[in-house]
Amino acid sequence: MTTLRKILKLRTVVSTSAGMALATSCYLAGLQVAIMLVGELAWISILVAGLFCLLSSMCFSELTSLYPTAAGIKLFMQNAFNEKAAIAIGMFYVILGISMVGAESFLLSSVLSGSFGMVSPHFDKFFWMIIFILFVGYINYRGIFITGLVQDILTYSMIGFLILVSFYTFNLRGIDITTALTSSQFTLANIIKAAGVGVFLYVGFEWVTPLAEETTDYRLIGRGMMIAIGLLSITYSLFVVAMYIGLTKEQLQSGTPIPHILFAQNLFGPTGMVIFIIISILASVTSFNAGLVNTSRFAYAMARDNVLPRVFSKLHPDYATPWVSILALVIFAIAISLLILLTGQYLFIILMAAALECIIYVVMALCVIRLRKKHPDKERSFKIPFGKIIPILTIVIFAGLAIGIFTDVTKDYMGNVLFSNYWVALFMVAFAIFTTLYTLLVVPVFKKKAAERAKTRKRRRPGRE
Amino acid sequence: MATEKEILGALADYQVQCNNNKRLRRMQRDWSRLLHFVAEDTGDVFTMNVVKGEIISNEAGAKGTPDIIVTTHSENLCDMFWGDLNPSQKYLDGEIKVKASQEDVVRLDAITMIIWPDV
Repeated sequence: MTTLRKILKLRTVVSTSAGMALATSCYLAGLQVAIMLVGELAWISILVAGLFCLLSSMCFSELTSLYPTAAGIKLFMQNAFNEKAAIAIGMFYVILGISMVGAESFLLSSVLSGSFGMVSPHFDKFFWMIIFILFVGYINYRGIFITGLVQDILTYSMIGFLILVSFYTFNLRGIDITTALTSSQFTLANIIKAAGVGVFLYVGFEWVTPLAEETTDYRLIGRGMMIAIGLLSITYSLFVVAMYIGLTKEQLQSGTPIPHILFAQNLFGPTGMVIFIIISILASVTSFNAGLVNTSRFAYAMARDNVLPRVFSKLHPDYATPWVSILALVIFAIAISLLILLTGQYLFIILMAAALECIIYVVMALCVIRLRKKHPDKERSFKIPFGKIIPILTIVIFAGLAIGIFTDVTKDYMGNVLFSNYWVALFMVAFAIFTTLYTLLVVPVFKKKAAERAKTRKRRRPGRE
Repeated sequence: MATEKEILGALADYQVQCNNNKRLRRMQRDWSRLLHFVAEDTGDVFTMNVVKGEIISNEAGAKGTPDIIVTTHSENLCDMFWGDLNPSQKYLDGEIKVKASQEDVVRLDAITMIIWPDV
């Protein structure tokens, strides 16, 4: 069998999977986990969330081994259920997923405006947000790709650096677990609740599945995702606790969106702050860039498949990039970012992203079960052991976490209620209704038009005109 | 089922269509790839060499180490090269399998879209 000239190695699969998840918003989400539980014991919820994600990664691995293509998620759902469900859920996942950029750009702009003051905090945030989104939009538009080697260097350096800093902090400040263990906040319910938010720390690990087409052995994707989750679990467990003990009580109570920058300043002064700012920029750019590459290509493919208006399939004449899709997503990202800037509700998006991941993990586990029933003999290079136990566990756990998120309230660091999370659920339900109606009412119109065009078009193949 | 001769005929037409399309040549001017097309039902393999957007050669058999491997039914291959089939739809349905980078997958589809925009 022929093989490709350029093939991805496990090292790059791991760095891509982990790199997608390592974003600026993770520091804030990590601190949120620490506040929900007891700071020094936040690692328990982070590990629990990692373990849950590991179950889900097994489902993704089996599905990828069945359909190793960049069209993966749509194909899994299409074959397990039907095309309409695949379109509705696919759009729900991809469009809502890009709104994470809103939170990410807001947090990165907070990092930059807090460090380089220009006019006013509000204006500075707005300025950096626009610069960040336009910059990533531009490199996407130009078709500049982050190569595997660059991704390897960035991800492994970030992970290594965060682990080193964590040990340095433990050595410097010490860590008191005994008091934390006796805290009234240290309960099983809080561990699970915090793990629900902790899922956000791993958001994006599954975005490595489109790389299946660049590997020779599809099992590498599954193995890579699992190693990435393990690496992320260790890194976050150490760093979130280090960050918690490295911040002052006032800083913890201030509700800062940039805890890692304050932490760096406390421990290493201005130099540390600059290093963390650079890490933040790199983490945000790599995550958002990968997100935009995936979503814009998804929109392009959907337009080519007559699901979205054909204008979204327009390609740039020089760079061969789907520029209309990129532009539309950039505008959407700016709109979400502005909404967050005006309302200040960045936690809303973080919770929504965590819930969205929980829902999609449930759907993927359902796909595993359905496809095993529909195609029991189809070749799978990876099959989850122990029958249906792990997919069912995944469904129960992530459905439970999503319900847990929706029925909770979001509080600030002082314990004041910011909003009831059922608003997150209502927003997501409204969006799900929109994508379903779109699929049922609008998509058939596009498909009908495409069929009419096809009828009038003469076939070129000799003997088949 | 399309024969090797039929697919080679389709490839010859495809080569002319691609190389004569100025817009496509401009878009693909920095794109040089060796492609293998595999007809999974007949086992036939075809090699296409693209240098700076120009299709230099099409031949039967697997030659060299490819950058892209496209695998599908022989009928799909034939229809695709004649411009009678939307490769994106077949790809999304899992009927066309591509082993390549994401950028190359879009580039491949772009060729069909530019030559036959109404497909």
